Amino acid sequence: MSKATRTIASTLLFATVWLVLLFHASVLPQDIPIPAWVDEITPVVPLWLLVAFGAYSLGNLGWALFTFRDCDDAHTSLIQEISQAKSDLRKRGVSID
Amino acid sequence: MGKRSSTKVSVPEATGDKYSVLLPTYNERQNLPVIVWLLVKTFTEHKIDYEIIIVDDNSPDGTLEIAKQLQKLYGENRIVLRPRAGKLGLGTAYGYGAQEATGNFVIILDADMSHHPKFIPEYIRLQKKYNYDVVTGTRYAGNGGVYGWDLRRKLISRGANYLATVALSPGVTDLTGSFRLYKKHAFEKLIAATKSKGYVFQMEIIVRARQLGLTIGEVPITFVDRVFGESKLGGDEIVNYMKGIWMLFWDT
Repeated sequence: MSKATRTIASTLLFATVWLVLLFHASVLPQDIPIPAWVDEITPVVPLWLLVAFGAYSLGNLGWALFTFRDCDDAHTSLIQEISQAKSDLRKRGVSID
Repeated sequence: MGKRSSTKVSVPEATGDKYSVLLPTYNERQNLPVIVWLLVKTFTEHKIDYEIIIVDDNSPDGTLEIAKQLQKLYGENRIVLRPRAGKLGLGTAYGYGAQEATGNFVIILDADMSHHPKFIPEYIRLQKKYNYDVVTGTRYAGNGGVYGWDLRRKLISRGANYLATVALSPGVTDLTGSFRLYKKHAFEKLIAATKSKGYVFQMEIIVRARQLGLTIGEVPITFVDRVFGESKLGGDEIVNYMKGIWMLFWDT
């Protein structure tokens, strides 16, 4: 099963549950008690999820950029090693330009 | 396989492990001798049994000549040359090189010195500790980092990685890295299973590794981009990247 298939399957499952809750008055038998707050919250859940995902993504990206390490010392030591390597190899007969 | 000594800490050489470094090259006349020198230095210092397989795609700048000189210097058992007739791509270069590999582990890294061989002992240590099938480097976690990237480049990189993570849930923090250690049979299986090219290929390998149930470990690495000159990332590459993620989303 590919990632796409799994994603579609989960989305369909969620959509079904959501639609049932949204239309519970006509879809579910009358004697199942659904609290009033469900009626208030269900219609806005998708929008809320979208906004939450957006906020999470931005936060994640911002944090990632904030903690993205710069390694200047790695560059410095590499430059040194490069000249070390080149002079050593030159001495041993490799044609380094 | 050699026998472990019972009285002292076993050195990798004693356990009979051999690490084959696959180095596809195209126009790396300047960088090849240095990266080989760094590799030899690391392996020798840590007493690791190794070979370096250079797959040159008929570079016009004379990379193969330099490779031959290095072979004369370090020996034909250490430097193995597998030249090809033309620019045939990275994925096939790895496969071609792996055929000649006599080690039981395969290491891949970039020839342009953005990856430093000094991390290899850490890869080996981690692999041995948890018996990972794959060990990959990460620029984003732990002590990992990058040199030479401005904010825009960093944003693109992290954004791209985030997108790929959301779409593919790969289980690694750095999906496009190409500094990796593989068990040889795992590598051969993965090469046979992959279909894409370039850095999408690197992503695909990790995703397929997860698919096949292989274990993956991560080592923080420092990535020194373009030691000489500026790093550029064009619109074309970004489009190809998105296409790659889309393909993997449907195919894995």
